[in-house]
Amino acid sequence: MVEEKEITVNVKKYDKEKGEYWKSYKVQADRYTQMTEVLRKIKTEQDPTLSYRASCHMAVCGSCSMKINGEPRLACKTMAFTAINEKNEVNLESMDYYQEVRDLIPDMDTFYDRMYKVEPRLYADQTVISGENDERMTPSEQKEVWKFEECIWCGLCVSACPSVKEDEKFLGPAAHAKGYRFMADGRDTKKEERIGILMDSAWRCTSCYMCYEVCPQDVQPVIAIKKTKAYVDEFPGTTELITMARKHDSTIAESIGESGKIKESKLYLKTFGYVAAMKDMMYMMKEGKIKYAMAKDTDVKNMDEIKKIMGDKK
Amino acid sequence: MEKKEYDAVVLGGGLAGLMAANNVADAGFKVAVVSKVFPTRSHSAAAEGGIAAYVDGNSDPNDDPEFMSYDEVKGGDYLVDQNAAELLSRDSGEIVHILDTWGAPFNRQPDGRIALRYFGGQTYPRTRFVADKTGMALLHTLFQHATGFDNIDFYNEYYVLDIVKDGNNVNGLVAMEMKTMDPIFLKSRALLIASGGLGMIYQHTTNSYINTGDGYGIALRSGVPLKDPEFVQFHPTGLYPSDILISEAARAEGGILKNNKGERFMAKYAPHKFDLAPRDIVSRSMTIEMREGRGFEGGYLGLDLTHLGREYILERLTLAYDAAKTFANVDATKEMIPVRPAQHYFMGGIDVDITGVNSDLNGLFAAGEAACVSVHGANRLGSNSLLETLVYGKETGKTMVDFLKKHKNVESSDGVDTIVDNAYSYIKRETGEHFGTLLNELRDVMWENVGIFRDEKKLTEAVKQINSIRKRSINMYVTDKTTNYNTEVFNALETRNMIDCSIVMATAALNRTETRGAHFRDDYPTRDDDNWMKHSIAYLNGDAVEIKYKPVIVTKWKPEPRVY
Repeated sequence: MVEEKEITVNVKKYDKEKGEYWKSYKVQADRYTQMTEVLRKIKTEQDPTLSYRASCHMAVCGSCSMKINGEPRLACKTMAFTAINEKNEVNLESMDYYQEVRDLIPDMDTFYDRMYKVEPRLYADQTVISGENDERMTPSEQKEVWKFEECIWCGLCVSACPSVKEDEKFLGPAAHAKGYRFMADGRDTKKEERIGILMDSAWRCTSCYMCYEVCPQDVQPVIAIKKTKAYVDEFPGTTELITMARKHDSTIAESIGESGKIKESKLYLKTFGYVAAMKDMMYMMKEGKIKYAMAKDTDVKNMDEIKKIMGDKK
Repeated sequence: MEKKEYDAVVLGGGLAGLMAANNVADAGFKVAVVSKVFPTRSHSAAAEGGIAAYVDGNSDPNDDPEFMSYDEVKGGDYLVDQNAAELLSRDSGEIVHILDTWGAPFNRQPDGRIALRYFGGQTYPRTRFVADKTGMALLHTLFQHATGFDNIDFYNEYYVLDIVKDGNNVNGLVAMEMKTMDPIFLKSRALLIASGGLGMIYQHTTNSYINTGDGYGIALRSGVPLKDPEFVQFHPTGLYPSDILISEAARAEGGILKNNKGERFMAKYAPHKFDLAPRDIVSRSMTIEMREGRGFEGGYLGLDLTHLGREYILERLTLAYDAAKTFANVDATKEMIPVRPAQHYFMGGIDVDITGVNSDLNGLFAAGEAACVSVHGANRLGSNSLLETLVYGKETGKTMVDFLKKHKNVESSDGVDTIVDNAYSYIKRETGEHFGTLLNELRDVMWENVGIFRDEKKLTEAVKQINSIRKRSINMYVTDKTTNYNTEVFNALETRNMIDCSIVMATAALNRTETRGAHFRDDYPTRDDDNWMKHSIAYLNGDAVEIKYKPVIVTKWKPEPRVY
């Protein structure tokens, strides 16, 4: 038989009357025990009041998102033996960012609202719906769409995202993956509108890669955001941020065209302007970091090669 | 109590419910979709391998919808209503077209058409797929499409208590908002039960934790019968020991089952179809191998994919590979995946005809696993559950539209308070038994005595024990008295539903003295068409299970021996 051992599960419980408090449970587990099974054991054998969400226990439904030892994870995709520390203990808490409802159950409405904002559905051509035209899709296009459609709406990326917390105009990683998935789908007829919905928000991502780290499906929302940003020239009109984004993009092309490199100080000045740069310089001086801004950059020697590569680009 | 009025209420946010809701809403009616989980958490998401379909111009040139129907009839061991199987095959191509226009990201052939592969029991390859997460991809497609309608209201994380009746007519249902524990009366003249299956009744199941037979429970309590409740599918390849599903796609793509001697034992039991024989046959063969000492220690067999090559496995069987890696610590590109049979699907369900109508209660419809249209008979073929949810979800949606045009909502609100009082009785009680004790006992009894191999002794014992659990459940009580997201209350109510389903299943299994499809009786090991080519229709009247019969509808195919 498989060897069992006793583990201690510390759960941060919460209800309206008692507020937050920690409670510990001892559970027998083996190397095949999933954390969802640990929770089910506690609930059916020890503490029926313990509250959590769980459904498929195979990482396709996205119900059991929580913090396990401080990390945003799916409980079903976390094995008890890999979660415990050297004292055989594991800590469970409700996800960050979302409002607590009960124990390990957060209120996910703000996550769903973000998803609905990107109009997450295909608007096919009428002639395809009627069957007059046969819409085909290459295997590589399908791969690109499926990559970002694999999102299971678990909410872990939004809970881990620092930009979501700071910037209420940012749609968040999952919604961007969803939005881009339809942009990439040749069967869809609303690409322009989608660029309109997504573009300003996309530039609010700081590319910190937290979403990439925590996604249990390897959806890589930050990559969807980067791919969306590449359509900045197709955005109708502009916003303050998009004006900056366009300057950012053209300066990068210009800088590489001239020197073969992205010259950070030049990029900074052209993107944010002199006033913002002056303010930041003052700050840098105060903190003793101005030397980094003054660092000398040398150009790439073989510029002909660079020009060949950049030739087709603007 | 809050009251909201709709034309139709759909219980369940999985594929069948959403398909019907899309259709009813498209006709302009006001629909409420009620689900105890956010719809994308529904068990439809767990379907892996694919959806079977005959698509004109994109199928094997020798294939024909007729062959597809025949495969279903034979696969279901002649308990299939043949007109239902014919409709399933006929409309399968249209369903794939609709899904395509709604954005389903099916895998493609090099020329851009939708790709297809073989599945168990198919004469020609018909299964369309999205990697091996087809259910998840289609569920998201349908849900996302449904969120585009202004006349569909979603009641997510609302738990259904019971059906409200006005005489013999549907008058909606009472549900409880889980977050606030506030009851709500959702009034409507049409109710679709599409709440999925009941796997949690069994100790070993591939099903989600949420599959607790709620729809069957509320139907039985409203005097509505279950059809063929003795037929339960056990899937051959549950991952050992967590019972996570390893898709049939693994065998469809060339995976081979092996015993502890390294033998491909299916050659012995199904000399033509081998590992791709229907699931009931493979599960039984595996159990025999293990019984006769050819299993591995702990009780499992091997599923060998290693000869398929790493690249192929990673592209076509991602989920199987990931599941084996994450949950059993096995690298399927290098070693065999440990598997054993586990409960997977309930062929029985709420008795409805080919249009989704139940004839016991006016205005009641059912679709998907919650229903028994009799399209799967005694054993469902792989790739047909997704197809059924969509074809019959759509068909039932059409029927509901016709019904809604002809009828009006009634005025009364009778019976609503009693339903809430009944549910509260578990909260009000201060002593008694916990749901967990009863539930764990129930799951043991069902697995041991109403499982893959059955006989009179086991089933008589099961009926006795379930009756005793059912008596004790009257004194079930809830320790948690708080009023926000009190899951213990819902677990107790789920347990009530599971116990009601179990007594009906065990009694019907004891009653059917033959072997047919997934219902295998050691004491009656052969099919008995003279006496048993008929559907069981099981009612729950108080403590008594009453079984009536309906004939099987035969259009073309006379019963013949089932050899694979």
